[in-house]
Amino acid sequence: MIEVALRKALPGFTLDVAWAAGDEVVTLFGPSGAGKSLTLQCLAGLTRPDAGRVVVNGRVFDDAAAGVHLPPQARHLGYVFQGYALFPHLTVAENVAFGLRGLPGGERRRRTTEVLAQLGLGDLAGRFPRDLSGGQQQRVALGRAIAPDPAVLLLDEPLSALDAPLRRQLREELRALVVGLRRTVVLVTHDLGEAYQLGDRLVLYEAGRIVQTGPKAEVLGRPASATVARLIGLRNVVRGTVVKTAPDRIEIAWRGHTVETVNSPTAPFQAAPGTSVAFVVRPEHVRLIRKDRVSPDPGHHMNLLRGEIVDSIDHGTSWTLFFRIAAPGPPSQGAYDLEIEVPHLVYEILDIGRDREWEVSMHRGALQVLAGV
Amino acid sequence: MLQSALMPEAATSALWLSVRVSVLATLADALVGIPLAYVLAKRRFWGRQVLDVAVMLPLVLPPTVTGYYLIVLLGRRGWLGGPLYALTGWSLPFTWYAAVVASAVMALPLLVRPARAAIESVNPDLERAAFVLGRSEWRTALEVTLPLARRGIVAGLVLAFARALGEFGATLMLAGNIPGRTTTVPLAIYTAVSTGEADEARVLVLVLTTLSCAVVLLASRLGSRL
Repeated sequence: MIEVALRKALPGFTLDVAWAAGDEVVTLFGPSGAGKSLTLQCLAGLTRPDAGRVVVNGRVFDDAAAGVHLPPQARHLGYVFQGYALFPHLTVAENVAFGLRGLPGGERRRRTTEVLAQLGLGDLAGRFPRDLSGGQQQRVALGRAIAPDPAVLLLDEPLSALDAPLRRQLREELRALVVGLRRTVVLVTHDLGEAYQLGDRLVLYEAGRIVQTGPKAEVLGRPASATVARLIGLRNVVRGTVVKTAPDRIEIAWRGHTVETVNSPTAPFQAAPGTSVAFVVRPEHVRLIRKDRVSPDPGHHMNLLRGEIVDSIDHGTSWTLFFRIAAPGPPSQGAYDLEIEVPHLVYEILDIGRDREWEVSMHRGALQVLAGV
Repeated sequence: MLQSALMPEAATSALWLSVRVSVLATLADALVGIPLAYVLAKRRFWGRQVLDVAVMLPLVLPPTVTGYYLIVLLGRRGWLGGPLYALTGWSLPFTWYAAVVASAVMALPLLVRPARAAIESVNPDLERAAFVLGRSEWRTALEVTLPLARRGIVAGLVLAFARALGEFGATLMLAGNIPGRTTTVPLAIYTAVSTGEADEARVLVLVLTTLSCAVVLLASRLGSRL
């Protein structure tokens, strides 16, 4: 259990966050410079917050109002630093045993051996960090952090120093290990795949603040705002004007058309006509309408839009098309209104390479209104 | 043994005195200079810059000026030397201890500068990691920071020893040039040249050059092993 409320002002940047987590993996996700690593430093006692409280399993680590600030030595946390910060003058075994100084010699050796075995580092016990690969160094850093059996494990970009194939391979390994700890694990990452695969709960940071927090599926499935949608890498986050909200649908004026989307039966979106509203359309949910078939059935194809493809990118197995709606005024996203994702085969069958004028449809369920700013 | 046909007695005594003075001065610098380098590197406190300048001053001042300050401080009527004399009847100047003090002060900046730079270049995350793993700042300095800064510290100690070996001006001011008591090799060379003892001067110059070369060589050997 961890409860965090922090305020820390630095020149040109203010961290102001509050979140809580149980014995689960909580991922602090956001762009670089959003305050994620600073949060970890505050949790570890390496930086003293200006205000706020940090409580771990009922122990008060920080309470600025009461003048409480435990030093890092008294917190018994595990911390895996970005870049690992292994002691270069100590062997793998000495690194892992570094936090076990309070134990009697025999117990210390037993625990060190146990952790080395758990991480598959038994053969490397006598090596020095400079002789290890990136993946092995990462495991030593992890072993050193978990050896003293910390109440909370903090991981600062634990995989970012590795190259992509190894990173993906180690993700699963790391996930299994941290889940096995049955402790609160706080993970910092700016990689959404990593955040999603490793975490249970997401805390989204931007510019020193939290923009959304919740179970990962909820945050990614229902982004609360356009800011969140952009943070989690959603494309086609655009803005229109509310025409009408009904219990079952929302009508939005956008680029000279009125588009329609379903309203949530449980938490219906309500806004006065004329209100500016953001919505998102996943690129793979925009469909091109075949010209060799009979005229489109309005009951099936919803939200019809006519326009042209102004640019395209070949990804090998798929194409991204940049579609501009034939309507006066500036397009929603610079030179275009929508990104459309089509499989390579479809691109060839429809001869999109030569034919640039298209009508597209967006199913009303594919449009997602973002309630927040 | 050395004192055969090769070297007159005065030269031998100067050589042993120089070695003794330089070793003790280097040890004193290690005791004072390493903690000083650490504090200058890590702490921000009132008067830090004054201390920093004071330590570096012997590097830029003429040695005679440093020697003059040492007399003002430690002489029989000095700020510290005065009370000491009043209390014990003993005073530092013109003893071989004075040569140690003068050499140590002159050599201190040569240790502090590289040692401080080496301490500052230790990745602060390593120290943070030690804190998180339960080490106090003191233990962290002993187990992490100083071992990782050892190259710079050893380089500084070698430089300090070499500087102490060659110290002339401040030693002359504070310890004088008393044959057999405070005449170190550089002073003996000066005396020999000014009194026309060309052979003695030549031998001492050769010995000091050899010794200095040996120190530098040893230092580079040590440096590559660390």
